[in-house]
Amino acid sequence: MSYQEYLAARDTVTTIGQPVIYVIFIFSLALGIIAIYHMLSNDSRAFRLASQLREIDTALLVIGFIIIAWFHLRIYQTIELVYPPELANYMASTMGISTTPSRFVVPLWIETEKLYFWTLCLSIFLAVTNYRYDFIKTKITALFSSAMNIMLAAFGILTYYTSNPFREPLSSLHLEITGWYQAASVGDPNVLYATLYQLYFRIIYFYNSEYMWTHPPMLFIAYASLVVTFVGCVFMLFRREKIFDQISYSHAKVGYLLLTVGMLIGYPWAVVAWEGKDWWWDPKINGSIMMWVLYSAYLHTRIYHKRHNMWRATAILGIICFLSLVFTYLLTYIAPGIHAITQ
Amino acid sequence: MKHKTYDFYLMVLTAAVLAIIGLVCLYGIGYYTYTNETMPGWTETALYGQYINSMNQLIYPFVVLLLVTLGLCIPKRIVPRQSLLVSGIGILAVTLLIALVTDIGTSLAFLLAISIVVQAAVMVLTILGRGGLTYEREGYFVQTGSSMLHLGTVIFVLDFVSMRSSELHLGVFWVATVLITVGTVLSFYPDEVGCIARLLRPGGKSS
Repeated sequence: MSYQEYLAARDTVTTIGQPVIYVIFIFSLALGIIAIYHMLSNDSRAFRLASQLREIDTALLVIGFIIIAWFHLRIYQTIELVYPPELANYMASTMGISTTPSRFVVPLWIETEKLYFWTLCLSIFLAVTNYRYDFIKTKITALFSSAMNIMLAAFGILTYYTSNPFREPLSSLHLEITGWYQAASVGDPNVLYATLYQLYFRIIYFYNSEYMWTHPPMLFIAYASLVVTFVGCVFMLFRREKIFDQISYSHAKVGYLLLTVGMLIGYPWAVVAWEGKDWWWDPKINGSIMMWVLYSAYLHTRIYHKRHNMWRATAILGIICFLSLVFTYLLTYIAPGIHAITQ
Repeated sequence: MKHKTYDFYLMVLTAAVLAIIGLVCLYGIGYYTYTNETMPGWTETALYGQYINSMNQLIYPFVVLLLVTLGLCIPKRIVPRQSLLVSGIGILAVTLLIALVTDIGTSLAFLLAISIVVQAAVMVLTILGRGGLTYEREGYFVQTGSSMLHLGTVIFVLDFVSMRSSELHLGVFWVATVLITVGTVLSFYPDEVGCIARLLRPGGKSS
Protein backbone atom coordinates (compact mmCIF):
# COMPACT_ATOMS: atom_id res chain seq x y z
CA MET A 1 0.00 0.00 0.00
CA SER A 2 1.42 3.37 -0.92
CA TYR A 3 0.93 6.96 -1.87
CA GLN A 4 0.42 5.92 -5.50
CA GLU A 5 -2.48 3.70 -4.50
CA TYR A 6 -3.95 6.56 -2.49
CA LEU A 7 -3.73 8.81 -5.57
CA ALA A 8 -5.38 6.12 -7.70
CA ALA A 9 -8.23 5.85 -5.15
CA ARG A 10 -8.63 9.63 -5.22
CA ASP A 11 -8.83 9.59 -9.01
CA THR A 12 -11.40 6.79 -8.90
CA VAL A 13 -13.56 8.77 -6.47
CA THR A 14 -13.52 11.74 -8.83
CA THR A 15 -14.20 9.56 -11.90
CA ILE A 16 -17.16 7.72 -10.33
CA GLY A 17 -18.37 10.40 -7.97
CA GLN A 18 -18.58 13.31 -10.39
CA PRO A 19 -21.20 11.64 -12.62
CA VAL A 20 -23.15 10.57 -9.53
CA ILE A 21 -23.32 14.09 -8.12
CA TYR A 22 -24.14 15.45 -11.55
CA VAL A 23 -27.11 13.08 -11.75
CA ILE A 24 -28.07 14.12 -8.19
CA PHE A 25 -28.01 17.73 -9.39
CA ILE A 26 -30.22 16.91 -12.41
CA PHE A 27 -32.71 14.98 -10.27
CA SER A 28 -32.72 17.73 -7.63
CA LEU A 29 -33.40 20.31 -10.29
CA ALA A 30 -36.22 18.21 -11.76
CA LEU A 31 -37.58 17.55 -8.27
CA GLY A 32 -37.64 21.27 -7.51
CA ILE A 33 -39.39 22.14 -10.80
CA ILE A 34 -41.99 19.36 -10.45
CA ALA A 35 -42.64 20.21 -6.79
CA ILE A 36 -43.13 23.90 -7.63
CA TYR A 37 -45.43 22.90 -10.51
CA HIS A 38 -47.43 20.74 -8.10
CA MET A 39 -47.73 23.59 -5.63
CA LEU A 40 -49.07 25.86 -8.38
CA SER A 41 -51.33 23.39 -10.17
CA ASN A 42 -52.16 20.83 -7.50
CA ASP A 43 -51.85 18.15 -10.16
CA SER A 44 -51.75 14.74 -8.44
CA ARG A 45 -49.62 13.27 -11.25
CA ALA A 46 -46.96 15.88 -10.48
CA PHE A 47 -47.14 14.88 -6.80
CA ARG A 48 -46.50 11.22 -7.65
CA LEU A 49 -43.69 12.08 -10.05
CA ALA A 50 -42.06 14.30 -7.42
CA SER A 51 -42.27 11.44 -4.90
CA GLN A 52 -40.52 9.11 -7.34
CA LEU A 53 -37.85 11.70 -8.11
CA ARG A 54 -37.26 12.20 -4.38
CA GLU A 55 -36.82 8.45 -3.88
CA ILE A 56 -34.30 8.25 -6.73
CA ASP A 57 -32.51 11.32 -5.36
CA THR A 58 -32.25 9.65 -1.94
CA ALA A 59 -30.90 6.44 -3.48
CA LEU A 60 -28.30 8.44 -5.43
CA LEU A 61 -27.25 10.32 -2.30
CA VAL A 62 -26.76 6.99 -0.52
CA ILE A 63 -24.65 5.71 -3.45
CA GLY A 64 -22.55 8.90 -3.29
CA PHE A 65 -22.07 8.41 0.43
CA ILE A 66 -20.91 4.81 -0.12
CA ILE A 67 -18.30 6.14 -2.59
CA ILE A 68 -17.15 8.67 0.05
CA ALA A 69 -16.95 5.90 2.66
CA TRP A 70 -14.92 3.72 0.27
CA PHE A 71 -12.46 6.58 -0.31
CA HIS A 72 -12.03 7.06 3.43
CA LEU A 73 -11.39 3.34 3.81
CA ARG A 74 -8.75 3.50 1.08
CA ILE A 75 -7.06 6.42 2.87
CA TYR A 76 -6.91 4.27 5.99
CA GLN A 77 -5.49 1.32 4.06
CA THR A 78 -2.95 3.18 1.95
CA ILE A 79 -1.49 5.95 4.11
CA GLU A 80 0.65 5.14 7.10
CA LEU A 81 2.84 7.70 8.81
CA VAL A 82 6.03 6.13 10.11
CA TYR A 83 7.89 8.20 12.65
CA PRO A 84 11.72 8.11 12.48
CA PRO A 85 13.11 6.66 15.75
CA GLU A 86 14.81 9.95 16.67
CA LEU A 87 11.55 11.90 16.45
CA ALA A 88 9.60 9.15 18.21
CA ASN A 89 12.15 9.13 21.06
CA TYR A 90 12.09 12.93 21.28
CA MET A 91 8.28 13.07 21.50
CA ALA A 92 8.20 10.22 24.01
CA SER A 93 10.84 11.78 26.27
CA THR A 94 9.68 15.41 26.14
CA MET A 95 5.89 15.01 25.88
CA GLY A 96 5.23 11.44 26.93
CA ILE A 97 3.66 10.77 23.53
CA SER A 98 3.71 7.29 22.07
CA THR A 99 4.12 7.58 18.29
CA THR A 100 3.21 4.23 16.90
CA PRO A 101 2.76 4.38 13.10
CA SER A 102 -0.38 6.42 12.46
CA ARG A 103 -3.16 5.78 9.99
CA PHE A 104 -5.91 8.25 9.11
CA VAL A 105 -9.39 7.28 10.34
CA VAL A 106 -11.02 10.20 8.58
CA PRO A 107 -14.65 11.03 9.53
CA LEU A 108 -17.17 11.01 6.68
CA TRP A 109 -18.34 14.62 7.21
CA ILE A 110 -15.35 16.91 6.90
CA GLU A 111 -14.43 19.63 4.38
CA THR A 112 -16.86 19.61 1.40
CA GLU A 113 -18.57 16.45 2.68
CA LYS A 114 -20.40 18.43 5.40
CA LEU A 115 -23.22 19.81 3.27
CA TYR A 116 -23.46 16.51 1.38
CA PHE A 117 -23.99 14.65 4.65
CA TRP A 118 -26.61 17.18 5.77
CA THR A 119 -28.45 16.73 2.44
CA LEU A 120 -28.28 12.94 2.76
CA CYS A 121 -29.72 13.09 6.30
CA LEU A 122 -32.50 15.41 5.10
CA SER A 123 -33.42 13.03 2.29
CA ILE A 124 -33.66 10.16 4.79
CA PHE A 125 -35.85 12.23 7.14
CA LEU A 126 -38.15 13.05 4.21
CA ALA A 127 -38.31 9.39 3.20
CA VAL A 128 -39.32 8.41 6.75
CA THR A 129 -41.85 11.25 7.04
CA ASN A 130 -43.41 10.37 3.68
CA TYR A 131 -43.59 6.73 4.77
CA ARG A 132 -45.30 7.62 8.05
CA TYR A 133 -47.84 10.15 6.77
CA ASP A 134 -50.26 9.87 3.87
CA PHE A 135 -49.64 13.34 2.44
CA ILE A 136 -51.71 12.89 -0.70
CA LYS A 137 -54.89 12.57 1.41
CA THR A 138 -55.59 16.30 1.49
CA LYS A 139 -54.60 19.21 -0.69
CA ILE A 140 -52.76 21.09 2.03
CA THR A 141 -50.69 18.09 3.19
CA ALA A 142 -49.75 17.36 -0.43
CA LEU A 143 -48.54 20.95 -0.68
CA PHE A 144 -46.56 20.43 2.53
CA SER A 145 -44.88 17.37 1.03
CA SER A 146 -43.99 19.39 -2.07
CA ALA A 147 -42.53 22.17 0.08
CA MET A 148 -40.26 19.60 1.74
CA ASN A 149 -39.28 18.31 -1.70
CA ILE A 150 -38.35 21.86 -2.72
CA MET A 151 -36.10 22.10 0.35
CA LEU A 152 -34.38 18.83 -0.59
CA ALA A 153 -33.99 20.03 -4.18
CA ALA A 154 -32.44 23.29 -2.94
CA PHE A 155 -29.99 21.34 -0.76
CA GLY A 156 -29.06 19.06 -3.68
CA ILE A 157 -28.40 22.01 -6.00
CA LEU A 158 -26.46 23.91 -3.31
CA THR A 159 -24.31 20.86 -2.62
CA TYR A 160 -23.46 20.51 -6.30
CA TYR A 161 -22.46 24.14 -6.70
CA THR A 162 -20.87 25.03 -3.36
CA SER A 163 -19.79 21.82 -1.65
CA ASN A 164 -19.19 19.08 -4.21
CA PRO A 165 -17.19 16.39 -2.35
CA PHE A 166 -16.09 14.70 -5.59
CA ARG A 167 -14.57 17.68 -7.43
CA GLU A 168 -11.44 17.92 -5.25
CA PRO A 169 -11.92 15.14 -2.70
CA LEU A 170 -10.70 16.20 0.77
CA SER A 171 -8.40 18.88 -0.62
CA SER A 172 -6.93 19.98 2.74
CA LEU A 173 -6.17 16.43 3.83
CA HIS A 174 -4.70 15.77 0.39
CA LEU A 175 -2.35 18.71 0.81
CA GLU A 176 -1.25 17.40 4.21
CA ILE A 177 -0.63 13.88 2.93
CA THR A 178 1.19 15.16 -0.15
CA GLY A 179 3.24 17.52 2.04
CA TRP A 180 4.37 14.60 4.17
CA TYR A 181 5.42 12.49 1.18
CA GLN A 182 7.28 15.46 -0.30
CA ALA A 183 9.03 16.08 3.01
CA ALA A 184 10.00 12.40 3.18
CA SER A 185 11.39 12.48 -0.36
CA VAL A 186 13.49 15.64 0.23
CA GLY A 187 15.52 13.79 2.85
CA ASP A 188 15.94 16.79 5.17
CA PRO A 189 15.19 15.43 8.66
CA ASN A 190 14.24 18.88 9.99
CA VAL A 191 11.54 19.34 7.34
CA LEU A 192 10.29 15.79 7.87
CA TYR A 193 10.21 16.19 11.65
CA ALA A 194 8.31 19.47 11.43
CA THR A 195 5.74 17.99 9.03
CA LEU A 196 5.25 14.80 11.05
CA TYR A 197 5.09 16.69 14.33
CA GLN A 198 2.27 18.88 12.95
CA LEU A 199 0.45 15.93 11.37
CA TYR A 200 0.60 13.94 14.60
CA PHE A 201 -1.54 16.52 16.40
CA ARG A 202 -3.91 16.85 13.41
CA ILE A 203 -4.46 13.09 13.53
CA ILE A 204 -4.93 12.92 17.29
CA TYR A 205 -7.15 15.97 17.75
CA PHE A 206 -8.95 16.09 14.43
CA TYR A 207 -8.98 13.20 11.97
CA ASN A 208 -8.88 10.26 14.40
CA SER A 209 -10.60 12.00 17.28
CA GLU A 210 -13.74 10.33 18.70
CA TYR A 211 -15.11 13.85 18.94
CA MET A 212 -15.04 14.26 15.15
CA TRP A 213 -16.91 10.98 14.81
CA THR A 214 -19.66 12.08 17.19
CA HIS A 215 -20.00 15.89 17.48
CA PRO A 216 -20.41 16.88 13.78
CA PRO A 217 -22.70 14.00 12.67
CA MET A 218 -25.00 14.60 15.64
CA LEU A 219 -25.26 18.27 14.66
CA PHE A 220 -25.86 17.51 10.97
CA ILE A 221 -28.57 14.96 11.74
CA ALA A 222 -30.10 17.55 14.09
CA TYR A 223 -29.91 20.22 11.38
CA ALA A 224 -31.63 17.91 8.88
CA SER A 225 -34.40 17.15 11.34
CA LEU A 226 -34.85 20.85 12.07
CA VAL A 227 -35.30 21.60 8.35
CA VAL A 228 -38.52 19.56 8.56
CA THR A 229 -39.53 21.51 11.69
CA PHE A 230 -38.99 24.73 9.74
CA VAL A 231 -41.24 23.66 6.83
CA GLY A 232 -43.90 22.56 9.33
CA CYS A 233 -43.74 25.95 11.09
CA VAL A 234 -44.11 27.83 7.78
CA PHE A 235 -47.27 25.83 7.06
CA MET A 236 -48.52 26.44 10.61
CA LEU A 237 -48.58 30.13 9.74
CA PHE A 238 -51.07 29.54 6.94
CA ARG A 239 -53.24 26.73 8.23
CA ARG A 240 -54.15 25.50 11.72
CA GLU A 241 -53.76 21.78 10.93
CA LYS A 242 -52.70 19.44 13.72
CA ILE A 243 -50.43 17.44 11.41
CA PHE A 244 -48.08 20.42 10.85
CA ASP A 245 -47.55 20.90 14.55
CA GLN A 246 -47.17 17.14 15.01
CA ILE A 247 -44.46 16.87 12.34
CA SER A 248 -42.71 20.06 13.48
CA TYR A 249 -42.66 19.00 17.11
CA SER A 250 -41.59 15.38 16.53
CA HIS A 251 -38.65 16.58 14.39
CA ALA A 252 -37.82 19.38 16.82
CA LYS A 253 -37.50 16.77 19.58
CA VAL A 254 -35.03 14.69 17.56
CA GLY A 255 -33.16 17.83 16.50
CA TYR A 256 -33.02 19.36 19.96
CA LEU A 257 -31.81 16.16 21.63
CA LEU A 258 -29.00 15.68 19.12
CA LEU A 259 -28.18 19.40 19.13
CA THR A 260 -27.86 19.41 22.93
CA VAL A 261 -25.79 16.24 23.21
CA GLY A 262 -23.72 17.11 20.12
CA MET A 263 -22.86 20.55 21.47
CA LEU A 264 -22.09 19.24 24.95
CA ILE A 265 -19.70 16.51 23.88
CA GLY A 266 -17.71 19.04 21.88
CA TYR A 267 -16.70 20.82 25.07
CA PRO A 268 -14.26 18.31 26.71
CA TRP A 269 -12.51 17.98 23.36
CA ALA A 270 -12.21 21.77 23.02
CA VAL A 271 -10.71 22.07 26.51
CA VAL A 272 -7.87 19.72 25.55
CA ALA A 273 -7.38 20.49 21.85
CA TRP A 274 -7.67 24.27 22.16
CA GLU A 275 -5.72 24.62 25.39
CA GLY A 276 -4.14 28.06 25.50
CA LYS A 277 -6.10 29.28 22.48
CA ASP A 278 -8.67 32.05 22.48
CA TRP A 279 -12.01 30.39 21.91
CA TRP A 280 -14.32 31.67 24.68
CA TRP A 281 -17.24 33.59 23.22
CA ASP A 282 -15.99 32.82 19.71
CA PRO A 283 -18.66 33.70 17.05
CA LYS A 284 -19.50 30.06 16.31
CA ILE A 285 -19.92 29.32 20.01
CA ASN A 286 -22.08 32.43 20.40
CA GLY A 287 -24.13 31.29 17.41
CA SER A 288 -24.53 27.76 18.76
CA ILE A 289 -25.70 29.04 22.16
CA MET A 290 -28.09 31.45 20.43
CA MET A 291 -29.54 28.64 18.31
CA TRP A 292 -29.88 26.35 21.33
CA VAL A 293 -31.62 28.91 23.56
CA LEU A 294 -34.01 29.81 20.72
CA TYR A 295 -34.95 26.16 20.21
CA SER A 296 -35.39 25.86 23.99
CA ALA A 297 -37.77 28.84 23.81
CA TYR A 298 -39.62 27.19 20.90
CA LEU A 299 -40.12 23.98 22.89
CA HIS A 300 -41.40 26.00 25.86
CA THR A 301 -43.92 28.00 23.80
CA ARG A 302 -45.01 24.84 21.99
CA ILE A 303 -46.43 23.48 25.29
CA TYR A 304 -49.15 26.15 24.99
CA HIS A 305 -49.61 26.04 21.20
CA LYS A 306 -53.36 25.42 21.57
CA ARG A 307 -53.84 28.66 23.47
CA HIS A 308 -55.08 31.80 21.77
CA ASN A 309 -52.38 33.34 19.55
CA MET A 310 -49.78 30.80 20.68
CA TRP A 311 -50.15 28.71 17.52
CA ARG A 312 -48.86 31.57 15.39
CA ALA A 313 -46.24 32.63 17.98
CA THR A 314 -44.87 29.06 18.10
CA ALA A 315 -44.71 28.93 14.29
CA ILE A 316 -42.90 32.28 14.05
CA LEU A 317 -40.43 31.23 16.73
CA GLY A 318 -39.80 27.96 14.87
CA ILE A 319 -38.97 29.93 11.74
CA ILE A 320 -36.65 32.29 13.64
CA CYS A 321 -34.93 29.24 15.14
CA PHE A 322 -34.21 27.86 11.68
CA LEU A 323 -32.85 31.20 10.48
CA SER A 324 -30.50 31.18 13.47
CA LEU A 325 -29.47 27.62 12.55
CA VAL A 326 -28.56 28.61 8.99
CA PHE A 327 -26.75 31.69 10.32
CA THR A 328 -24.79 29.56 12.81
CA TYR A 329 -23.81 27.09 10.08
CA LEU A 330 -22.62 29.93 7.85
CA LEU A 331 -20.59 31.51 10.67
CA THR A 332 -17.86 28.93 10.00
CA TYR A 333 -17.45 30.49 6.56
CA ILE A 334 -18.17 34.17 7.18
CA ALA A 335 -16.98 35.00 10.70
CA PRO A 336 -13.51 34.92 12.27
CA GLY A 337 -12.59 32.78 15.26
CA ILE A 338 -11.28 29.34 16.02
CA HIS A 339 -14.10 27.59 14.15
CA ALA A 340 -13.48 29.62 10.98
CA ILE A 341 -12.76 27.56 7.89
CA THR A 342 -9.54 29.51 7.33
CA GLN A 343 -8.09 28.47 10.71
CA MET B 1 -54.35 34.02 39.35
CA LYS B 2 -55.37 30.59 38.09
CA HIS B 3 -52.78 27.79 37.96
CA LYS B 4 -52.85 27.65 34.16
CA THR B 5 -52.42 31.42 33.78
CA TYR B 6 -49.55 31.44 36.27
CA ASP B 7 -47.82 28.60 34.42
CA PHE B 8 -48.41 30.31 31.10
CA TYR B 9 -46.83 33.59 32.17
CA LEU B 10 -43.93 31.69 33.72
CA MET B 11 -43.39 30.02 30.34
CA VAL B 12 -43.58 33.40 28.55
CA LEU B 13 -40.99 34.79 30.99
CA THR B 14 -38.71 31.77 30.45
CA ALA B 15 -39.00 32.05 26.65
CA ALA B 16 -38.33 35.80 26.82
CA VAL B 17 -35.21 35.31 28.98
CA LEU B 18 -33.95 32.63 26.59
CA ALA B 19 -34.54 34.94 23.62
CA ILE B 20 -32.64 37.76 25.35
CA ILE B 21 -29.70 35.41 25.98
CA GLY B 22 -29.84 34.72 22.24
CA LEU B 23 -29.66 38.45 21.55
CA VAL B 24 -26.63 38.81 23.83
CA CYS B 25 -24.94 36.06 21.81
CA LEU B 26 -25.83 37.89 18.59
CA TYR B 27 -24.20 41.02 20.00
CA GLY B 28 -21.10 38.91 20.81
CA ILE B 29 -20.91 37.70 17.21
CA GLY B 30 -21.15 41.28 15.92
CA TYR B 31 -18.59 42.63 18.37
CA TYR B 32 -16.06 39.83 17.76
CA THR B 33 -16.39 40.09 13.97
CA TYR B 34 -16.23 43.89 13.88
CA THR B 35 -13.26 44.08 16.25
CA ASN B 36 -11.44 41.42 14.29
CA GLU B 37 -12.03 43.40 11.12
CA THR B 38 -10.77 46.69 12.55
CA MET B 39 -8.02 45.28 14.74
CA PRO B 40 -6.56 41.98 13.44
CA GLY B 41 -4.88 39.97 16.19
CA TRP B 42 -6.95 41.62 18.92
CA THR B 43 -7.46 38.29 20.70
CA GLU B 44 -3.77 38.46 21.63
CA THR B 45 -4.33 41.77 23.43
CA ALA B 46 -5.97 42.75 26.73
CA LEU B 47 -9.07 43.74 24.77
CA TYR B 48 -10.01 40.08 24.38
CA GLY B 49 -10.05 39.63 28.15
CA GLN B 50 -12.28 42.71 28.45
CA TYR B 51 -14.60 41.25 25.83
CA ILE B 52 -14.87 37.95 27.76
CA ASN B 53 -15.65 39.86 30.97
CA SER B 54 -18.22 42.07 29.30
CA MET B 55 -19.96 39.05 27.74
CA ASN B 56 -20.03 37.32 31.14
CA GLN B 57 -21.44 40.44 32.78
CA LEU B 58 -24.08 40.82 30.10
CA ILE B 59 -25.20 37.21 30.29
CA TYR B 60 -25.12 36.70 34.09
CA PRO B 61 -28.25 38.74 34.95
CA PHE B 62 -30.27 36.72 32.45
CA VAL B 63 -28.82 33.47 33.73
CA VAL B 64 -29.95 34.61 37.20
CA LEU B 65 -33.44 35.29 35.84
CA LEU B 66 -33.49 31.92 34.10
CA LEU B 67 -32.52 30.18 37.34
CA VAL B 68 -35.24 32.04 39.21
CA THR B 69 -37.86 30.99 36.65
CA LEU B 70 -36.60 27.40 36.86
CA GLY B 71 -36.87 27.66 40.64
CA LEU B 72 -40.42 28.95 40.37
CA CYS B 73 -41.42 26.46 37.71
CA ILE B 74 -40.49 22.98 38.85
CA PRO B 75 -41.13 22.92 42.61
CA LYS B 76 -44.29 25.01 42.29
CA ARG B 77 -46.54 22.28 43.60
CA ILE B 78 -44.48 21.19 46.59
CA VAL B 79 -44.61 24.61 48.17
CA PRO B 80 -47.72 26.83 47.98
CA ARG B 81 -47.37 29.29 45.11
CA GLN B 82 -47.52 32.35 47.33
CA SER B 83 -44.71 31.07 49.56
CA LEU B 84 -42.71 30.11 46.50
CA LEU B 85 -43.02 33.60 45.05
CA VAL B 86 -42.08 35.22 48.38
CA SER B 87 -39.08 32.92 48.87
CA GLY B 88 -38.10 33.46 45.21
CA ILE B 89 -38.09 37.21 45.68
CA GLY B 90 -36.21 36.80 48.97
CA ILE B 91 -33.50 34.67 47.36
CA LEU B 92 -33.23 37.11 44.48
CA ALA B 93 -32.81 39.99 46.96
CA VAL B 94 -30.04 38.13 48.83
CA THR B 95 -28.40 37.35 45.46
CA LEU B 96 -28.45 41.04 44.55
CA LEU B 97 -27.08 41.98 47.97
CA ILE B 98 -24.19 39.54 47.60
CA ALA B 99 -23.55 40.95 44.12
CA LEU B 100 -23.34 44.46 45.57
CA VAL B 101 -21.11 43.46 48.51
CA THR B 102 -18.82 41.05 46.65
CA ASP B 103 -19.16 40.38 42.91
CA ILE B 104 -21.70 38.97 40.48
CA GLY B 105 -19.84 35.63 40.19
CA THR B 106 -20.14 34.95 43.94
CA SER B 107 -23.80 35.94 43.99
CA LEU B 108 -24.50 33.66 41.05
CA ALA B 109 -22.67 30.82 42.82
CA PHE B 110 -24.94 31.37 45.85
CA LEU B 111 -28.06 31.26 43.70
CA LEU B 112 -26.81 28.17 41.88
CA ALA B 113 -26.07 26.35 45.14
CA ILE B 114 -29.64 27.00 46.34
CA SER B 115 -31.06 26.00 42.96
CA ILE B 116 -29.14 22.72 43.00
CA VAL B 117 -30.46 21.84 46.45
CA VAL B 118 -34.05 22.63 45.38
CA GLN B 119 -33.83 20.86 42.01
CA ALA B 120 -32.10 17.82 43.55
CA ALA B 121 -34.86 17.59 46.18
CA VAL B 122 -37.47 17.84 43.44
CA MET B 123 -35.74 15.13 41.41
CA VAL B 124 -35.51 12.74 44.37
CA LEU B 125 -39.17 13.36 45.31
CA THR B 126 -40.23 12.83 41.71
CA ILE B 127 -38.29 9.59 41.32
CA LEU B 128 -39.72 8.33 44.61
CA GLY B 129 -43.16 9.50 43.53
CA ARG B 130 -43.64 11.59 46.69
CA GLY B 131 -44.23 15.18 47.68
CA GLY B 132 -47.49 15.74 45.83
CA LEU B 133 -45.68 17.01 42.76
CA THR B 134 -47.65 17.70 39.62
CA TYR B 135 -46.29 18.95 36.33
CA GLU B 136 -47.47 20.65 33.18
CA ARG B 137 -47.35 17.27 31.47
CA GLU B 138 -48.24 14.15 33.40
CA GLY B 139 -46.55 10.76 33.48
CA TYR B 140 -43.75 9.34 35.62
CA PHE B 141 -41.05 9.42 32.93
CA VAL B 142 -41.94 12.94 31.74
CA GLN B 143 -41.78 14.27 35.29
CA THR B 144 -38.57 12.43 36.16
CA GLY B 145 -37.02 13.59 32.88
CA SER B 146 -38.09 17.17 33.45
CA SER B 147 -36.59 17.27 36.97
CA MET B 148 -33.34 15.64 35.74
CA LEU B 149 -33.10 18.08 32.84
CA HIS B 150 -33.54 21.10 35.09
CA LEU B 151 -31.09 19.80 37.71
CA GLY B 152 -28.56 19.07 34.95
CA THR B 153 -28.96 22.58 33.56
CA VAL B 154 -28.34 24.19 36.97
CA ILE B 155 -25.28 21.99 37.62
CA PHE B 156 -24.02 22.83 34.13
CA VAL B 157 -24.28 26.57 34.78
CA LEU B 158 -22.59 26.19 38.20
CA ASP B 159 -19.78 24.23 36.59
CA PHE B 160 -19.12 27.01 34.09
CA VAL B 161 -19.59 29.95 36.44
CA SER B 162 -17.71 28.74 39.51
CA MET B 163 -15.72 25.60 38.69
CA ARG B 164 -13.95 26.28 35.43
CA SER B 165 -10.50 26.20 36.98
CA SER B 166 -11.30 23.38 39.37
CA GLU B 167 -9.97 19.84 38.89
CA LEU B 168 -13.55 18.64 39.20
CA HIS B 169 -14.67 20.79 36.27
CA LEU B 170 -14.86 18.05 33.63
CA GLY B 171 -16.22 15.46 36.07
CA VAL B 172 -19.08 17.80 37.06
CA PHE B 173 -19.57 18.63 33.39
CA TRP B 174 -20.17 14.95 32.59
CA VAL B 175 -22.61 14.60 35.50
CA ALA B 176 -24.58 17.56 34.09
CA THR B 177 -24.36 16.17 30.56
CA VAL B 178 -25.70 12.76 31.60
CA LEU B 179 -28.55 14.38 33.58
CA ILE B 180 -29.46 16.68 30.67
CA THR B 181 -29.30 13.88 28.09
CA VAL B 182 -31.24 11.31 30.09
CA GLY B 183 -33.68 14.00 31.20
CA THR B 184 -34.32 15.10 27.61
CA VAL B 185 -34.82 11.52 26.42
CA LEU B 186 -37.27 10.79 29.27
CA SER B 187 -39.19 14.03 28.69
CA PHE B 188 -39.43 13.63 24.93
CA TYR B 189 -39.96 9.89 24.62
CA PRO B 190 -41.78 8.69 27.77
CA ASP B 191 -43.85 6.07 25.96
CA GLU B 192 -40.86 4.52 24.23
CA VAL B 193 -38.82 4.53 27.47
CA GLY B 194 -41.78 2.97 29.31
CA CYS B 195 -41.97 0.25 26.69
CA ILE B 196 -38.25 -0.51 27.04
CA ALA B 197 -38.54 -0.45 30.85
CA ARG B 198 -41.36 -3.01 30.72
CA LEU B 199 -39.32 -5.23 28.39
CA LEU B 200 -36.28 -5.03 30.66
CA ARG B 201 -38.26 -5.84 33.79
CA PRO B 202 -37.63 -9.52 34.74
CA GLY B 203 -40.40 -11.52 33.15
CA GLY B 204 -41.93 -8.34 31.75
CA LYS B 205 -43.26 -7.74 28.30
CA SER B 206 -44.44 -4.76 26.36
CA SER B 207 -48.09 -3.97 26.72
